[in-house]
Amino acid sequence: MRAEYDAQVTAIVFDAEGAIFALGDGSVRFEDGAFSAAHDGAILCAVTHPSGEGVVTGGDDGRLIWHRRDAAGVLATSARGQWIDAVDASAESGLIAFSAGKTLTVLDAKDAGFRRDFQHERTVSGVAFEPKGRRIAASTYGGAALWFARIAEQKPTVLKWAGSHTAVTFSPDGAFVVTAMQDAQLHGWRLKDQKNMRMGGYPSKVRAFSFLSNGQLLATSGAQGAVLWPFVGANGPMGREATEIGFDEGSLVALVASQPKHGLLAAGLSDGRVWLADPAGQGLNFLKADKGSPITALAMSADARRVAWADEDGNAGVATL
Amino acid sequence: MTDKIPVTVLTGYLGAGKTTLLNRILTEDHGKRYAVIVNEFGEIGIDNDLVVGADEDVFEMNNGCVCCTVRGDLIRVVAGLMKRQRPGKPAFDAIIVETTGLADPGPVAQTFFVDEDVKAKTQLDSVTALVDAKHVMARLDDSKEAREQVAFADRIILNKTDLVTEAGLVEVERRLRKLNPLAPITRAERANVPLDQVLGLGGFDLGRILDINPEFANPAHGEAGHVHDEHCGHDHHEHDHGHDHAHDHDHAHGARGHAHEDDIKGISLSLDRPMDGTKFTAWLDRLLGEQGQNILRAKGIIDVAGEDRRLVFQAVHMILEGDLQREWGVKERRWSRAVFIGRELDEAALKAGFEACAA
Repeated sequence: MRAEYDAQVTAIVFDAEGAIFALGDGSVRFEDGAFSAAHDGAILCAVTHPSGEGVVTGGDDGRLIWHRRDAAGVLATSARGQWIDAVDASAESGLIAFSAGKTLTVLDAKDAGFRRDFQHERTVSGVAFEPKGRRIAASTYGGAALWFARIAEQKPTVLKWAGSHTAVTFSPDGAFVVTAMQDAQLHGWRLKDQKNMRMGGYPSKVRAFSFLSNGQLLATSGAQGAVLWPFVGANGPMGREATEIGFDEGSLVALVASQPKHGLLAAGLSDGRVWLADPAGQGLNFLKADKGSPITALAMSADARRVAWADEDGNAGVATL
Repeated sequence: MTDKIPVTVLTGYLGAGKTTLLNRILTEDHGKRYAVIVNEFGEIGIDNDLVVGADEDVFEMNNGCVCCTVRGDLIRVVAGLMKRQRPGKPAFDAIIVETTGLADPGPVAQTFFVDEDVKAKTQLDSVTALVDAKHVMARLDDSKEAREQVAFADRIILNKTDLVTEAGLVEVERRLRKLNPLAPITRAERANVPLDQVLGLGGFDLGRILDINPEFANPAHGEAGHVHDEHCGHDHHEHDHGHDHAHDHDHAHGARGHAHEDDIKGISLSLDRPMDGTKFTAWLDRLLGEQGQNILRAKGIIDVAGEDRRLVFQAVHMILEGDLQREWGVKERRWSRAVFIGRELDEAALKAGFEACAA
């Protein structure tokens, strides 16, 4: 599938039926042509709904909206209409978490009356559920806070590291939390002892990271190739070297996408190309070989059989592998 | 690729007239699309469809350089605004950042030079300081932030001039000039400033540092070397535009003139002999490295020996940009000029260091 949208695609997700594109004009475009225009402004973040149907989007209008092919409804709004900058959801626990300003909010997809608001000292930049969906990590300046998703009154576990953290993820085994940082590096913590892991050496900011190969590899953007950190055994990447695949001096890997249970990695480049690779094998398979404006959104379906991308000029595509 | 979006920063304390100026910019019939970034707890009543709150989230980049403090909220907000970009078109015609009276303009400006995403999409056009003619003297006395905002600016708008006598205005302008000899001062009542004196100034554009040449280091009224331009409201005299300014000041402006030795001042340097390019670059690098924390702004045009083009530079704290710009004209006077605005600067040492770069 190829499409041309008249706005920038800011995020792509796959639900059970196909690819869903979230746009900078506030609209949502389903791969089959269905359309939802519920936001008044740009969509800043998106995630597949915990039910597996449709997409949950956060906008600069301060609304969190669930779009399905035939319906759309507001799930929550932020205080004072603050931008909703980050969202995550857990199919395991059925919870949705989003951030607006310094507040992290948790909703239950099956219980409209459930809402928890957790405050931070600094603005929240990213949110991520642990694999079972019972805890949430929120990245901020100075580190990350870990919250139990359902408990109303609690003090978070604070993972400290000086600097501005711009995104966060959990390893699929729940043993590590990794953040991306403003100054072109990753930081990680082993949760059992809060041991710090510095993962640096990037020429550019890391905009995307994703686990693959049963959690044994963490792939990231931010270099001329896709960077792979080994997460094998209790020590994760500590004391080990990263590898780089698909190195190309003339471009940067802008985004990566993968699925934890599968061994394939997709990368979207700053020159508009998109490739797929099996880190265990050889060579790159270009899903989009023609150059263009930078790739701004990239996603892989849960079964790792489809990859969707879009560039800054609204050109979008989906490839079936 | 689309052009970078120009960003104008408006500084000034509460009551200086920022909201009035903003609304003038936004409501003038220009057909442009602006995004306005305001302090989230700041003044309200801005007439625009996209007003975004920012929370003055200042932090140091982890590389340990104190001068690389940036505004995290601006990085986040600018990235979000860019999501409204449409194919082949910039997201907005311009972005205006309004800061509070307590904001340090340094981190605001540095954000546009340091963050790679912000830098890729936007270009800092200028920092304009709005000051209230009636209260500015008291504010400059008691507020470090007020002095820094004036010192940092590419243009100063002296607002509410109808509330002060001409003598009072001359006094204010004299003090503003000492704090910042680079920024032209525009007088205004109720923020009635032509838009072209706020937007599109190119204050950080090396290619346009020539354009401000007539204003360059223009001392205030009644001081040696003052150039009577369209802003000062006097008949144009033939003056000897010597650049030996900042020496024989006329101190007949009353007691205040003496009492106000501000901690921040602008120092103008010049040299009529060509300079050794390598020596000068090394001197400037070392100066910014050692004193960049105290140097708010610097600009200069240098006559490099053996080079037909002018070496132009500008700096914000330790962030330096320099380039060879257009050739010197055949009849043009070839001379080197530089202005450093900062705290606790040793004028004699700067002068000696500058002149020691002669070829």
